[in-house]
Amino acid sequence: MTKTESKATSANPASPRERALRHQIEKIEKESGAKAIAVALHDSETGFQLHYHADRWFHAASTIKVPILLGVFAAIDRGELLPHSRVHVRNRFLSVVEDIPFRVEAGRDSNSAVHNAIGKMMRVDELAYHMITTSSNLATNLLLGVIGPASVNETLRQLHVDDGIELKRGVEDELAFEKGINNMVTANGLLRILVMLAEGKAFSPALSRRMMDILHGQEFNQGIPARLPKAARVAHKTGEISTVAHDAGVVYLPKRKPYSLVILTEWDPSATGRLRTIAAISQTIYELLTQGPELKDE
Amino acid sequence: MTASTRLDETERVNESPNFPLRVVDGLTLPPEYRKALRPGEDWMDANSFPRQLPRYFYEIPSWDTAMKIELASHFLLWEFIQVDVREAPPLRTFPRYVPCAITLLAVCLERFREAVGTLVHISANGGYRSPSHRFSKNATPHAWGTAANIYRIGDTYLDNRNAIERFSLIARETLPGIWTRPYGAPTGYAEDHLHLDLGYVLSVPRDVKS
Repeated sequence: MTKTESKATSANPASPRERALRHQIEKIEKESGAKAIAVALHDSETGFQLHYHADRWFHAASTIKVPILLGVFAAIDRGELLPHSRVHVRNRFLSVVEDIPFRVEAGRDSNSAVHNAIGKMMRVDELAYHMITTSSNLATNLLLGVIGPASVNETLRQLHVDDGIELKRGVEDELAFEKGINNMVTANGLLRILVMLAEGKAFSPALSRRMMDILHGQEFNQGIPARLPKAARVAHKTGEISTVAHDAGVVYLPKRKPYSLVILTEWDPSATGRLRTIAAISQTIYELLTQGPELKDE
Repeated sequence: MTASTRLDETERVNESPNFPLRVVDGLTLPPEYRKALRPGEDWMDANSFPRQLPRYFYEIPSWDTAMKIELASHFLLWEFIQVDVREAPPLRTFPRYVPCAITLLAVCLERFREAVGTLVHISANGGYRSPSHRFSKNATPHAWGTAANIYRIGDTYLDNRNAIERFSLIARETLPGIWTRPYGAPTGYAEDHLHLDLGYVLSVPRDVKS
């Protein structure tokens, strides 16, 4: 199978709930005009899972920041970094293509806090927070500069969550993008990380909780959380470039265990309605997971 | 004036009453510091010339002290010792050690500040950093305490050719013998700061006995 192919159905016979979900997601996909949609779901309350094109590879966009967050906390767990370790804020990075220098454009980061600190230092936990909550590309490349992509990949291997994640470089490396050297993810790959975090199994319950706290601070909420009830809390990370829009997170609802959900979508650059589509899928999943017993798994 | 009076005055001059930092011989420091600072060792520069690293250091007992000590009218000690997680672990906690030549750099920067007429900002990792710092590949004058990376002057960020070359020229006109890194991306050039240095200057204070 190539990086963009996948199987739409699982080998096991689908339950009524799974059939209903697949049907509704297919309907949303058809109406949206998306080139591809993948969904991976794990409900810790019921054990229900859905894998819809979940092994199809997508450009990771900013969802790659979740594995990088894991790599940063691995360095903290090993004692190589402390949350308050200081990092020089410098906007100069080397492309994986011939080590050619590049900068992160300030206008492409929604957060000016990190750019405003150029020349000074910021703490590792501050950078991690900005990397996730406002998706700061500068913070991401700074952290990756300290720990290195190889270290992140080794962490993923050690935690057995490397399948479905390919971290090759920092973000905004345009030369690499032009050469087709990109960070790639599958819905299943991201789901494995989220489930591990939600279950407190990444390094330690305390460190897992700290990562979840950062993901709870997410400020871009037009995807998975948009059509959920106000009582829902979502720890998540979005990712969007011209051809993809993603959201990956853990949904906490009152009086039940959380569910982890990854929605990856691919589009023509001119397409609209990307986040609306993610929100619609999220709403559909929420309704099917929380409705009455008639669609309970067999 | 008697002979004993003249002797007393000489001793007072050498006491440096306005500079409270203790001078230490790096060779007498604990092993973890010696390993990181490599006092008196030779270190090859980019052209494979051996350069002798500093042996004598000022001991900085605390960040609070660094925040208070003026090396020049507009430069406090803390501005020269900001290093990030890439510095060797023993050198990220206090007491910290900085080569005695740091005072010469501060005087030069003060003159430079007078010439530009506004605030001169030294970047993190851009003052003193040890030979064990992850940025220190070849013998860099940063490890002698005689180099500064300036990322901002007044409201001007030195992240473009025009700004870097303009202030580089002022530095060279103001400070005889100063070296500035040319603008550019390759190794040996700088494109997001102004690097200036005095070279591999070793400073041995008068009260050093050995």
